[in-house]
Amino acid sequence: MTELQNKIKELISNKTLDLVIGWGNGSMPLVSTPMFIKSEADAEKVIFDPTCRNNLATYLTKDKRRLGKDYEKIGIVVKGCDARSVVLYVTENQVRRDQVFLIGVPCHGVIEKKKIFDLTEGREVLEKKIIGEKITLKGREFEITVPLHDVLSDSCLGCRYPDAREFDLFIGEPRDEVEVKGEFKVVDDFEAKSSEERWDYIKDEYSRCIRCYACRNVCPSCYCNECFVDQNDPQWIGKTPEVTDNIIFHLIRNLHLAGRCVDCGACVSACPVNLNLRIMNKKVEKEMKERFDYTAGLDINEKPAMATYCENEKQDFIMG
Amino acid sequence: MCNTYIPIPMKIERIINENPDKSLRTYNLSFVNEADKEKFVYMPGQFCEFSILGKGESPFGIASSPTEEGILKFTVSRTGSVTREIHYLQEGDIVGVRGPLGNWYPEELVRGQDVVIIGGGFAFTTLRAMIVYMLEHRDRYGKITVIYGARTPEHFIYKEELDEWEKRDDIILHLTIDKPYPGWEKLIGFVPTITKEVRLDSQSYVIVCGPPIMIKYTLPVLSEIGFQDDKIFTSLERRMKCGIGKCGRCGIGSKYVCIDGPVFSLAELNKIPEAF
Amino acid sequence: MYKFKRIYLPEFIEYLQKTYFVFAPVKSGTETEFKQITSFTEIDQSRLNTTISPKEIFFPRSEVLFTYDEDGIKTPPKREKPAALWGMRACDTRSMRILNDVFANAHQMPEKDMFKDPYWIDKYKDCLLITEACLNPLSTCFCNWFSSGPFDETGSDIFVVKGEVDYYLKGITPKGKEVLAGFEKTEKTIAKDEEELKVLQSIADSYMNPPTDLGDLKDKLGKIWDDPLWDEIGAKCINCGACAYVCPTCHCFDVSDEGKGNKGKRVRLWDACMFQLFTKEASGHNPRSNSIHRVRQRIMHKYNYFVDNYQKFLCTGCGRCVTVCPVNMDIREIIKQILDHKIEKKDK
Repeated sequence: MTELQNKIKELISNKTLDLVIGWGNGSMPLVSTPMFIKSEADAEKVIFDPTCRNNLATYLTKDKRRLGKDYEKIGIVVKGCDARSVVLYVTENQVRRDQVFLIGVPCHGVIEKKKIFDLTEGREVLEKKIIGEKITLKGREFEITVPLHDVLSDSCLGCRYPDAREFDLFIGEPRDEVEVKGEFKVVDDFEAKSSEERWDYIKDEYSRCIRCYACRNVCPSCYCNECFVDQNDPQWIGKTPEVTDNIIFHLIRNLHLAGRCVDCGACVSACPVNLNLRIMNKKVEKEMKERFDYTAGLDINEKPAMATYCENEKQDFIMG
Repeated sequence: MCNTYIPIPMKIERIINENPDKSLRTYNLSFVNEADKEKFVYMPGQFCEFSILGKGESPFGIASSPTEEGILKFTVSRTGSVTREIHYLQEGDIVGVRGPLGNWYPEELVRGQDVVIIGGGFAFTTLRAMIVYMLEHRDRYGKITVIYGARTPEHFIYKEELDEWEKRDDIILHLTIDKPYPGWEKLIGFVPTITKEVRLDSQSYVIVCGPPIMIKYTLPVLSEIGFQDDKIFTSLERRMKCGIGKCGRCGIGSKYVCIDGPVFSLAELNKIPEAF
Repeated sequence: MYKFKRIYLPEFIEYLQKTYFVFAPVKSGTETEFKQITSFTEIDQSRLNTTISPKEIFFPRSEVLFTYDEDGIKTPPKREKPAALWGMRACDTRSMRILNDVFANAHQMPEKDMFKDPYWIDKYKDCLLITEACLNPLSTCFCNWFSSGPFDETGSDIFVVKGEVDYYLKGITPKGKEVLAGFEKTEKTIAKDEEELKVLQSIADSYMNPPTDLGDLKDKLGKIWDDPLWDEIGAKCINCGACAYVCPTCHCFDVSDEGKGNKGKRVRLWDACMFQLFTKEASGHNPRSNSIHRVRQRIMHKYNYFVDNYQKFLCTGCGRCVTVCPVNMDIREIIKQILDHKIEKKDK
């Protein structure tokens, strides 16, 4: 049994926690599944590997807020981004710090299913093996081995905080901030294009959106009881998947995420039509960093960026 | 082919404020097109989708009886965005109506029988339709007893009709309010309590409509008295959109409130776990 | 059985286009969807399992029910030609027939005109469903749980198998047979072709995971309404709704008005019972406010309620929901869990 499994088993058996949320093996080779661990037998099934994509912090809010009524303290296994979500909840008064027990795990990136899909040219992967820095993918009539780095999520490639900075227990030694080059490459590349090229791209891309709201529903930062899209009094935008309404939906959602998005990639992973969602997220994140030197979910004592006023902020947008 | 998604135009003939704070209004609508009027054949218990084009639609039970020629009556409580728009309407305005939808009270089944009608608050709409219909065909039915409870005397709806019915001797009216009120000489007590006190024949048919809490406490009283489940009927409400059993919204169990209901017998509801 | 050389596919598509609007899988960004094609070159030949199901050809993501202005209400124009769908899998064809039962024949009351959906009927009328055999089933496919399989012809007008050199075709319905008879490039198959077909079918069947016997799934579900099993099953669902959107048999929709002044339109658009606001009433009361109740509703509807009304499951085992779910809610595992569950006797 791994150290993670042992530690969780201990916490359950000595009654420190009645519930720990972690990951277990999924029903398909490239996915893991969130697990609600309540027994020592459950604890033995916990895993942590590059398939552990889901941001488990999302189970603290939204519909699952009721978990807080059933359990005094909930344990969560967190990667760097997940821990930042929990910190966000604490700074936004959604959860009290003493209501969560954070178990940090050392993250080296998670797999993006869609990149694997491109690599295998759409052929299904029936078996995967990760050995060291390489991943082998086997299908019906193929076997490919590539560096793991090639199939990691774009969010991970630009991630500065892979390990939880806020935790109650860490499996191993947490790294501090990690050097990263080209954190906002996706934005910089896009901004280098002409205005027409950018507009054409956005129009084409977002006309494919089917308004299923999976991106919003999986997002740990989107936990409003009534989303602006569902309000009918006033009705802010149309509900049909017309490209103008689609673009406005994503724009507004991303503005609501200013200083709150932790780039966990849950939205990208959940989108059934594989929209390029990070382009907007990352742009807003870049703006927050440049204007206010603010990154979401790093300091548990900080106030939320968009809810604070500082006198020495850049005011150049007012006076030009 | 008929397109049940398209509303027919109707004109607002009269607006009646049912309560002092004007949050409850009754609308009398007339048909704009003669052809629509001919085709509109309905029975008490059915409902319509009331459309304000550009704003939305809401379902309302038809409060008028088909014996009241040429008009449809709806009572609307100002709750959400569509009902608020409805309350802005004036006499003479044109609105859209889709219907009649749903099933109706078991009028044929209760012929020759005694009928007890129990209502609470402003859920009395379709009950009014049923009572007016039965009074127009009075000799078809046995004893008609009505128990109607409201919070205060001002909260009763269809006060004109209630006055008229009280004067008749072929219908027994028990009007009750929750707590003592200056000037009120009639019954005081919640509907379940009054139902117990009034002597009812357990072989009668019962139609009961009211807020969920009233229904919750009245049903046990009825079963205590000995009423049979397949003789107790109620009208359910759920969020609705299409009204013809397609969009899935009003589903309870394998039934749709818009097609299999809104009228259900207690025997049927007991088979559907989600109903309660 | 008939065949024509694969190089004649462009001509076959042109032939179909004389009578039909032809829809086929087309690449859309990184995904594949069913769209109307004008030429054979648009067809994405690499995939049969489209991301979004072909139900949107007859039941679009969003559809105008009517427009209105000072002159009154107008309904949209009718489709000029019927639709021919090329490249559907057996699971999608069966789903289409199930949806037709719902929209054209609500609650088994075909005599009640008012319950028929004219928008579906107009698009679906006289359609030609061409099912292509699924030569490369995915590990997520479980159509064989529903007495189906990669070579299931149920519901098709024409059944097609893509061979090495030829397309093999079989007219199933009189309409399908007529269409085939009218295409001059078809020839009759010979013994060697039958051999190839047998081999292709046995390979495809061998790729399928063994089916689970659904046994008394419907009745079992009827007995476990209050069972704490649902808390286990529904715990990880985050109600994103992706499953309902990609499902070929899901058909819940929302109706919304969009207007300004005295001009506007009423549209209907896809919706899902998984969303929190689906059943919320104006008073604020929500009969299904708990997410576990919504998961239960989805499963009960598909495997119990629908059977009551239509005597079949509202699922054809296409596996799209399994692929798309972000938290790996695997309906196959859930069904097995339900079938294996021992009901504890409650002491009253």
